[in-house]
Amino acid sequence: MKFYVCIKQVPDVNAPIQIKEGELIQDTSRMILNAYDASAVEEALVLAEQHGGEVEVVSVGPSKVSETIRKALAMGADKAVHIQTSSDDEYDSATYADILAAYFKDKEYDVISCGKQSQDTDAGLAGSMLAEKLDLPYATNAVGLDIEDQKLVVKRQGDAGQEIIGLPTPCLVTCSNDMNDPRIPSLKGIMQSKKKPLETVELSELGIDESNLSSKTHVTGYQEKPEREAGKKYEGEPEEIAKQVAKLLDEEENVI
Amino acid sequence: MSTLLTHIAISDGKIKRSSLEVLSRCQELANQNGHTSEAVIIDSNASDYMDEVQKYGASKIYLVEDPIFKNHINSPLLKALAKVMEASNPHVFAFASTEGTKDILGALAANQDAAVLSDVSEFDLIDGGISAKRPVMAAKILSSNEAKAEKILVSVRSGSYDLQENPTDAEVETIDFSFDESDLKLTLREIIGSSGDKIDLSEADTIVASGRGAKDEEGQKLVNELADLLNAGVGASRALTEAGIVDPSLQIGQTGKVVSPQLYFAIGISGAIQHVAGMANSKVIVAINKDPDAPIFEIADYGLVGDLYKILPPFIEELKKIKS
Repeated sequence: MKFYVCIKQVPDVNAPIQIKEGELIQDTSRMILNAYDASAVEEALVLAEQHGGEVEVVSVGPSKVSETIRKALAMGADKAVHIQTSSDDEYDSATYADILAAYFKDKEYDVISCGKQSQDTDAGLAGSMLAEKLDLPYATNAVGLDIEDQKLVVKRQGDAGQEIIGLPTPCLVTCSNDMNDPRIPSLKGIMQSKKKPLETVELSELGIDESNLSSKTHVTGYQEKPEREAGKKYEGEPEEIAKQVAKLLDEEENVI
Repeated sequence: MSTLLTHIAISDGKIKRSSLEVLSRCQELANQNGHTSEAVIIDSNASDYMDEVQKYGASKIYLVEDPIFKNHINSPLLKALAKVMEASNPHVFAFASTEGTKDILGALAANQDAAVLSDVSEFDLIDGGISAKRPVMAAKILSSNEAKAEKILVSVRSGSYDLQENPTDAEVETIDFSFDESDLKLTLREIIGSSGDKIDLSEADTIVASGRGAKDEEGQKLVNELADLLNAGVGASRALTEAGIVDPSLQIGQTGKVVSPQLYFAIGISGAIQHVAGMANSKVIVAINKDPDAPIFEIADYGLVGDLYKILPPFIEELKKIKS
């Protein structure tokens, strides 16, 4: 089976973030592979190991994205495609989906996967957008994947419980990071990744004029969230503080 | 004048309160700006829910009824939503941000060539579109956004708006819908662990959540006892779902559910940012942890420092007294 995994480079949400005049100031040296995408890579590698197949990763973005692509190759992906853009500042989910749809239009594959959302924007839209643009059956928020008779069997987390979905191939699936622990690249994997094929594709080769890419949604600024103030800490005899707080919840907060 | 359409989400035979919150907001915006507020119910028994929707104000309610909607399957739902959009021609189509919504929002936007903003915590109308605020970067900060297009989709976090009753005598329009099995792109084989008998975390007024500190049988017993007493939903941090102690559907956090109850108990939860991203909007937070430096205390209104096994029993006793 041929697996394509779409991956995104994101800022590390654990790194300090500053906002200056509505702009987000981030330590760009701490760019990482989106954790949900890492789970999608891991899952594709496991399925390819179990059922045979090839895993190729695809990423859209400026030149610095190549570091993240190397990480996925070091994990074990067979090859990679870097769709180069000059800037990713203004792209919304729909623009990413448009670019990826143009890339996949004439490709052959069984499964396209990606994370269920990216850690920076948490939008969770690009996966199902891409599926719709490619007219593929899809499932989102997968917490388990398997292959049966050339079909993808997806366990997904829904509102009413976990749903088991049968997806005929070709199809698209978005992955939660609850499903696995992505492997950490070994030294050997890192060495090998440098020799693996990494194809770069210009947007113009996909028939896209970058200057014409315009998003329908825009971020107009960033603000600190109104901080929750730390309340009071109660230390001392367990029995005493338990009674004290229970009383306060009833009398002061009126929530019991 | 334009139309604001609200999707009424049904799960386990009940209307999701969060979609009535969204309807309340749309009705308010329509009233303020001279627009029309409409609603749509897509379900195997859509008409059963009409009376309740009427209470929250919509000048028109669309019904799409078909047995295929008994469970969530994205391909027929997308087809139904496209038909409703054709009938209503909304400028803004608003959804509660449920798992079902997350599954279809991007595809519907692509299908309708609509602008879309997901998981917003507030939204307003502006000239030509909407403005909205969204928590981003693991909910550490808020981004302000604008969407301008002929058609705009928006999904709203639960708890973002209050319910406002505003009864109307809505016109009801049933949309013809049929689904050819050959259009079914995927098959639903089974649903495991329906949450039918549990309290839905995204809608609960009180949540008792536990983490690594309460992972043994005794800890879980105390957590469940407290939850039963308060008629609360039971949640967990990732540590417990990963250890297989609690069902993954009950995980609260950036992965998992985003909740906004009136009262949240974090029991033996240290407060990693991924967990906090899912619960920081709770009105009152009570944390119990033996580590006085646990990050959870930075956001808790009431932080009890100590051994949960020693604190919870007298706490439960005291609550029993209060409740009686």
